[in-house]
Amino acid sequence: MPKILIVDDEEGIRMLYSMELEDEGYEVVTLPDGKDLLQVIRKEKPDCLVLDIKMREYNGLDLLQEVRKKHYDLPVILNSAYSSFKVDLKAVAADYYVVKSSDLSELKAKLKVVLETRIPPEQ
Amino acid sequence: MKAVEDNPDGVSRADIVVGIPSYNEAHSISIPTQQSDRGLSKYFTDRSAVRINCDNNSPDGTRNAFMETPTDNPKIYISTPEGVKGKGNNLRNLFEKVVELSAEAVLVVDADVESISPQWIRNLCDPLFENFQFVTPLYVRHKYDRMIANHVAYPLTRALYGRRVRQPIGGEFGFSGELARTYLESDSWTEEVENFGIDIWMTSIAMISRVQVIQSFLGRPKIHHLADQEAGPIPLFNDVVGTIFGLMCRYENFWREVKWSRPTAVYGFGTELEVPPPVHVDLDSAWERFRSGISTHWPLYCEFLHSEVSAKLEEVAGLTRETFEFPAALWAKVLYDFAWAYKKRIAPEDVLLSSLIPLYHGKTLSFVLETEAMNTQQVEEMIEDQCLQFEKAKPYLMERWFSE
Repeated sequence: MPKILIVDDEEGIRMLYSMELEDEGYEVVTLPDGKDLLQVIRKEKPDCLVLDIKMREYNGLDLLQEVRKKHYDLPVILNSAYSSFKVDLKAVAADYYVVKSSDLSELKAKLKVVLETRIPPEQ
Repeated sequence: MKAVEDNPDGVSRADIVVGIPSYNEAHSISIPTQQSDRGLSKYFTDRSAVRINCDNNSPDGTRNAFMETPTDNPKIYISTPEGVKGKGNNLRNLFEKVVELSAEAVLVVDADVESISPQWIRNLCDPLFENFQFVTPLYVRHKYDRMIANHVAYPLTRALYGRRVRQPIGGEFGFSGELARTYLESDSWTEEVENFGIDIWMTSIAMISRVQVIQSFLGRPKIHHLADQEAGPIPLFNDVVGTIFGLMCRYENFWREVKWSRPTAVYGFGTELEVPPPVHVDLDSAWERFRSGISTHWPLYCEFLHSEVSAKLEEVAGLTRETFEFPAALWAKVLYDFAWAYKKRIAPEDVLLSSLIPLYHGKTLSFVLETEAMNTQQVEEMIEDQCLQFEKAKPYLMERWFSE
């Protein structure tokens, strides 16, 4: 069962995503912020990271740069309420950028693609 | 290959090498020489460094211009033997010297780049000390600068090798000493690679070698001489496309396994942008070259274009200039058919590649007409969409390549 790690500072989003993605057959782990993100990735070994950008104390684009240094091939989907961060060149380090919506069909479609094409982590 | 070496300080080891390939760049080489020196002195004080001008025996005094530029760090001049030219040959000499010097990190900057700053040196070099082995630049270029990167090199390498590297022929690179050895020892050197094909070859080999690639934001647009574009794209075009097709033949077992594409990491910051200088495209000339070229080469096209592709192309050729459009999905299949024809040796290599140029003019004309009113971000999104068309059309390439 593919494991998805969701990082979002809104509890409602974490709950909604957990419910919907678990219904799709994914195992879901959530984090309320970027604190300990690298340790959690190391421990949980997720198959994909869904990362919010504008969080209270963390910026998802900066977190993404840190993630890529240690987990070069981990699929990452940026998930923001704002489309304006697409302009930031740091966003190109993500596999996809999905604007938040109550309809999760785009996010689910992108998850399917990244999981189908992911490169297995080196042992 | 080195034929000439001038190493006045007797440098025998260096942590960092900055290579500046050149041919007749006496008027501009002092700019990257000084700026790279400032970058090394400011950001890498604890590392030994050397700048190497790898030249083709330039008759205009490039050697003196380089050696006489005042710098803190030592300099070495190397040159190919007399009569041997080509950027690829220059870099081959550089790789050899890098291995001799046991360098950990290597940067290459073009000799004609005017907008280089010390920050470029830092941003190209830093990731090499953080486990990355190949660094490509990420700078904003005018939407019509180096269109061969936008319409050929970027979409093809991305669809083939599965990594999104936006400037695969940017001219500025960083790579590890280990990768320099891989380049030097590679058996895939060709005449095109020895010339302008070197940039796309280095990027492709890095992807095929599965090293960790990072794109580094350089902060300023690339401003350089556009002589190669003004003189017409033929040598550059043939070298770049010939190199891509040649690598497709050699590494077919690699790219057949690749589906869609993955991003690379990004280093640096990317929102405060300077506006790049405008690049003018001669639309009348592009239209004329497309129209006349398509009728000249039509019999050749009919020998290898898939019937559906040639029918679509005929439809496009029948459009008026006012309504002209060359759809991205068709362009992807045209390039894939040309690659297949290259593999099957349907025509001599230079004839085949030159016959693609009129269609490339058609594609660039269509792109300019579609994007005249767009800003940089909108154009970037359009280029991303075009890349997706190449990825979607890859099963078409696989079908032809592996079964016909």
